[in-house]
This record gives sequence, structure tokens and C-alpha cells, in this order.
Amino acid sequence: MRVLATVVTLIAAWLPLMPVLAPLIDLPKLADVLDARTAGLLWQSLWMSAGSALGAILLGGSFALLTVPFVFPGSGFLKLCLPLPLFLPPLMTAQAWFGLTGMSGPWATVFTFAVCYAPLPGLLVARALSLRPASSSASAELLGPGFARGELLRLSILPAITGGALVFLLAAADFAVPDYFATVGELFHVYAAEIFGHSRSDDAFAGATASLPLVLLCLLVLAGAVVLREKQRVQEVDAKDAAGPRLLGGRASTLALSLGLALLTLLFLLPLGRILWETGMQGPESTRSWMEVSGQAFQDAVTRGRGDILRTLGYSGLAGLICLAIAPIWAHALLQGSRRRRILLTIGLALPLLVPSVAMGFGAIVVFNQPWLDGFYRSIFLPALLVAGRFLPLAVILLAERMARVSATGEEAAALSGMSYARRLFRIRLAPQRGAWLLAGGLVLAFGMRELDFAILLPAANRSAAVRYYNALHFSRDNFVAAYGIVMALILFLPWVLAAAWGNLRQGRRP
Amino acid sequence: MRPLFHAATLCLLALSAACSRPADLVLYCSLDQDLSEPLIARFEEQSGYRVDTQFDVERNKTVGLVNRILQEAKNPRADVYWNNELAQTIRLVEEGVTEPFAARSAEGIPAEFHDPNGHWVGFAARARVILYRTDRPDEMHLVPQRLEDFLRPEVAAVGAMAAPLTGTTLTNYSILADAWGDEQTITWFEQAREAGLSFGSGNADVMRRTRNGDFLWCFTDTDDAAKAMDAGYSVAQRYLEQGTEAAPLGTLLIPNSVCRVASGKNQEAAQAFLEYVLSAETEQFLARSVSRQIPLHASVTAPPGVGKPGEDFLPMEVDWTSAAAGIQQRAAAFQELFVR
Repeated sequence: MRVLATVVTLIAAWLPLMPVLAPLIDLPKLADVLDARTAGLLWQSLWMSAGSALGAILLGGSFALLTVPFVFPGSGFLKLCLPLPLFLPPLMTAQAWFGLTGMSGPWATVFTFAVCYAPLPGLLVARALSLRPASSSASAELLGPGFARGELLRLSILPAITGGALVFLLAAADFAVPDYFATVGELFHVYAAEIFGHSRSDDAFAGATASLPLVLLCLLVLAGAVVLREKQRVQEVDAKDAAGPRLLGGRASTLALSLGLALLTLLFLLPLGRILWETGMQGPESTRSWMEVSGQAFQDAVTRGRGDILRTLGYSGLAGLICLAIAPIWAHALLQGSRRRRILLTIGLALPLLVPSVAMGFGAIVVFNQPWLDGFYRSIFLPALLVAGRFLPLAVILLAERMARVSATGEEAAALSGMSYARRLFRIRLAPQRGAWLLAGGLVLAFGMRELDFAILLPAANRSAAVRYYNALHFSRDNFVAAYGIVMALILFLPWVLAAAWGNLRQGRRP
Repeated sequence: MRPLFHAATLCLLALSAACSRPADLVLYCSLDQDLSEPLIARFEEQSGYRVDTQFDVERNKTVGLVNRILQEAKNPRADVYWNNELAQTIRLVEEGVTEPFAARSAEGIPAEFHDPNGHWVGFAARARVILYRTDRPDEMHLVPQRLEDFLRPEVAAVGAMAAPLTGTTLTNYSILADAWGDEQTITWFEQAREAGLSFGSGNADVMRRTRNGDFLWCFTDTDDAAKAMDAGYSVAQRYLEQGTEAAPLGTLLIPNSVCRVASGKNQEAAQAFLEYVLSAETEQFLARSVSRQIPLHASVTAPPGVGKPGEDFLPMEVDWTSAAAGIQQRAAAFQELFVR
């Protein structure tokens, strides 16, 4: 099985990077790429990504700190809603906040990324808090509420930083959101614009060369996060020794519910509501009603974009399935072996996420556009593999964090009794974390639905939902864009909401 | 093991789907997806050919598909490339990845939009125009009529244009740099910026900000201007450089263009599509569409609101080969100036 995972990862993640790696490992080129102008752009990207990470930590961390250690009316529902902002395309959130507040410029970009990616640190903090040792938790509470709060914060810091590092990587590589806020307000640029500018030149891999400083910066941040995660590992306890949530009553419970709802509104409900309103927005001289325009926009979204959404769901779903199969194997590998091996493995797996997406797409053309691979090159299997390869690290890191909850002693006993690797992995390590496993696959699906830059270069992914969305946005089809964004988001939310509701129902029936 | 088995079964199903029948024609299309789709569907209906269309995203400004054709050159996938402008098509011709063709339906298009060697034909154009607000009549004197007006501080302070990094704005200033010289063009931008002109990231974006009242005017394309006017905003368009002097510069006209990709596998279907897309009927359809493309066929009547070159406005004379040759180098120079 480990061989299978390595072969799939090789084809999906590492082979398409081969044509890109030459300029990336040519370090002397760094001097050619970096001058005063590009250093300024790199600085702009650095502080904006760091700001986004900090914002995401504050928002996502607060959400987790509110909903995991405490029980109050609605806390279960709020906890379930934590990953939802990840399913909204960041560009859609950017449009919504611009519409709501008129904000623009670098700070608007920082805010949008913080809102969009808050669930990443949130989910990791939630997991760490649910694993806090019952003994130390009880001691802190005995010492007073201040100590108890301090204990919760202390446990949250490291996972929050790990989540923040992931936010940093995603924010630093994003071109669309800063480009949008530069468009609606004063013009500004980030380093991704430099990479994008070079990607449009004669040399298809010039973008990869130009990305070298950003890749190195991200690699540094990632390595730091991995080292911190290793440090955090020693603080964890088995689930059976973890402290349970504390019941809140009276005013504290009302306050917690209000805060939780306020956060959910900020992260999710407000942007969604604004976009819904934009489906029927028109100029002052228009004679059509909001309902008429909105209805037409939704009708157009379904009739024109249905095929693209189904196609995108097809290859992104397949990518999710591939990750469901191989992410547990890599996550299991991340929980074992020496510290150095684990760090190298994380960086190796994360490499496709660091390289500009468009360079990965051109790499795939160079590697897979062969006469003997004709059917494969045209099939949805190629984009599915590339989506899986690019977003596999997100699934692996999330799953590794969750699988660490399950006691290793059970697996060791099973190994001694002769149980196969596959059974130990899926029945002992993974079975108690089925929800996280599905969430990992769902995240890959969601990120696959949003992927634009390499999808457009691949025959079977070219007519995708993201391509139609971005084109409509640039061609000022504002109502269509809003309606199409909502249709896309609903398709991603519904399975999540239904699965969560079903899980709750089943839990409720248990004696 | 069961989940793995399910995943493997689905992978096999996907692989079997990979063996589906290839299309009769592979078309790479940079024109707006919403606009070109009905035309392509009509071609499929009329001809019986099944078309696999690959689109570009607007923010790539056609370069995504052009680079893809160049990367795929060893094993070409496309039969025909339909570009929404001309300079990048000429780049493909220069790279030797196109082959000549003849289309009888293109005979009504003026000679300046035909490649002398038969590698490309231009049709259905857009013009570069000033879009301005009509609800501020006291400020009409601040709406420019010539490019040099952009440098007047009182005019520049209330106007905007896209940074010349991509698309028609890059093509526009690459052509002007041919006439003015590269240094003079950079100086022009520096002076415009000093005068207070705002630079946005795209034509549609500056149009949106003008339509919403952030600016009195912007320099954009006719298709973007048409969208603002159709959506019920108080705006109108004006052609630049139509002055009364002996030789006014004229307004730049940027046509769509088509070319045939060398060694394309579906020659017959490609020829049928070229005849179809270059016909007067296609131009008529595009002229009546939301983007109001300007017809070049002499026989096509422009619908109300669509100016006819030579009759309603004076078009600029352009050496497209020279403009295309310098466009990459100028894009790099403009990137140095604007991306910081």
C-alpha cells in the first residue's frame, strides 16, 4: 500500500513538477530575480500573508476556544459550522466584503484571507483543545478561572501557529484576491503578480523562475511550522485521558452563544447574504425588479453553468477519492519514523502547494502530452490526479493531526498479533476518525472546485466552474457571478451539512 | 480495505471514460465563453461536427492558450485558434506553429485584416474608447478627446485607465510605442501618473469604477462600454483622436482573429469552421450581442449603437506585425514601471 501511495504521489504531485524544478533549484538565479522592485513586492506579500495568518488565528482560534471546551445551547451546531468558510471561494468573499463595506487595498486583502482561511487554525486548535489532559485541566480550574483560561490559551498557541503557516502559504500564492482589491480601489501589487506577469511571457516556465524567492520564503515558513508541530506532539494525550467540555449556564451561556453567532455571521453568513443580494443588483436606470433579475441570474447559472459544475465535481470528486485512499497512508507515515524523516516528508508532500499552479499545469503538458497517452491526457483522470497531488498536503496534515488522537498502543498490539498494515491503518487508526477522513477528502474537493490556473491548461478541466466564474467576473456579469458562486457554494455545503446533521441525529439516538 | 476498493473502482470507471471518442474539431478560443458558446453550438448543429472547445480566462488575456499551443507544438491538440485580438496570433505565426488557409466567406473583409501570407484573418473588432458619465454635464470639458489631454492635471484627476500590462491596453500602447518610441511612451506614462491619472488592473475594472461614479471617464473598449450602457448606468462613449487637424491619429480597432494550427488532426472540420466563423452571419451575431463587436464585412449593417469604422469614426492605421514583434519586450518594460 505504501508503494501504491508513493506511485500515485509520484505521478500526481512530483512528475508534473519535474520541468519546473530545474529553475527552482538554480539558486544563483535568485540574485537575478531579486532587485529593489521585486524585494519590495516580496515584502508586501510577506507582511500581508503574515497579517492574514494572524487574523485567521484570531478568528479561527476564538471560534475553537469558544465551541470546544464549553457546552452551551447551540455549541454543537457552531462547532459543525467551523469549516464552512473554507467552502466559499475567496474571490466571492472578497466581492461580498467590498460590496458590504467598500473596503479595498492591501488591508482588505488581509481581512478577506483571514476570514476565508480562519477554519484552518480553528480546526487545529479545536483538535488540540479536545485533547487537553484532564489532569492539568482540573488542576488549572482548581487554581481559578484565570489559570483555566491561561491553560486553554497555552494549549492553543502551537496548533494555531501551524494553522497560521498554512494560511500564510495559501495567502502568499493567491493572485486573484489582491488583484480584485487593487481593481476596485487604489492599484497595488503583491509578489504573485510578478509571477503571474512572467507566466504570460514567451517562456512558459519563466513564472517558475520568478517564483523562486516566494517558494524559498514559504519553505522557510513551512519548515518552521513543521518543527513547531513536532514540539507540540509531546504535549498530546490519548483521547481517553482528555478533559471533557465544561457546561456553561446562565449569562455565560448567552454570552458564549452571542459571540459564537457573531463570529459565524462575520465569517460566513454576512458574505453569503451580500452575494445573494448581488444576484439581483442593477443600475439606477434599470426598469427590472430585484426578484426578476435575481431569478434570471439563477436560471442562467443553472442552465449555462450546469455542465461545467458537473464536470468540475467529477474530477474534483475523483481527486477527493484519491486523497481518501492515499492521505491516510502518508498521515500514518507522518506519525512514525524519526523527526528528520517526518520533516522531510512533510516538505516533500507540500512541494506542489508551494510551486505556482500555472507552472505545474505547463509541467503536466510537458510530461503527459505524449501520443501514446492520448486518451489519458484528454480524460478527467489527469486533472483529478493533479488536483489530488496539489492539495494532498492539506488532507495529510489534517488527517495526521486527527489520527494522532488514536492511541498507538492499540496498533502496536494489533501488529504483534499479526494484523496486516492495511487493517491496522483503516480499522484501528482511521476508523475512530471517519469524520476527519471525510473532511480531508471534502477539502480536496472544495479546493479542486476553486482551482483555476492549472485547470485551464488541461483539456478535461478547461471547461470548469472556476473558468466560467472568473470569466463572468471579468466580463462584468455581476448578477450571474453572484448566482453562480452561490450555486457552487451550495453544492459544496449541502453534503457537509447533511452529513453533519445525520451524524448528530445518530448521536442523539444513542442511549 | 473496503474504502480503498471503492476508490479503485471509481478510478477504473474514470479511466474507462478516458477512452471516449475524440471530438471532430479541437478549437482553442479566447473570445468570451458566453459570447462564443452559442456560435459554436450553432456550428455543431449546422455541420454535424462535434467540437471540443478549450477556453481561456480573461485575466490571462489570451496568453494562456497561446503558451499552451506553443507547449503542445510537438504533439498538437488544437486545429483552430480563435483569438479575441491579433498580436498574439501573429506571435504564433512567427513561432511557426500555424499554417496558411483560405476562406471564401472572408472575402468581404477589408484587405488590411488579412495576413498577406494567409496565416490569419481578422474579423469582428472592438475599438478603444472613452467611457464617460452623462450625469455630470458641467464637467464635460474634462472628458478627453485626444491622448495628450490625459496629461492635463484637471482631466487626469477625474479619469482612469488600465495599466498597460495585458490585453488591449498593452496592444494599444505597444502600437503607440511604435510611433512614439519606447522612451517617449514610458515618459508619457510617468507624466500621466504625475498629472493624477489613476491606473486600474483591467478595462472592465475601470469601466465598473466609472459606472459607479468613482471617475468621470475611463479609457476602455467598446464591449466594456456597451455593458455599462446596457445595465442602465448614466454613461456614454466617445472615440479618441478624431480631430480636425490634417492627419488625426484615429481610434485603435482590435479585431478578433483566427488561424489554423499546423499539423492539426482534423483538417476538414477546421476548414468548415473557418468558413463559418469568418462569415457575415457570425459578424452580424457578434454585433448584436452584449459586447457589440464592430463588423468588418462591408455587407453587414451595424446595429444602432455600434459605430462603423470609416463612417462613424476614423480608425487608426496599424502595422500589426511590427506591433506584435515588440509586444513582449514592451510588456516587460511596462511591468517594471507598474508592478511595484
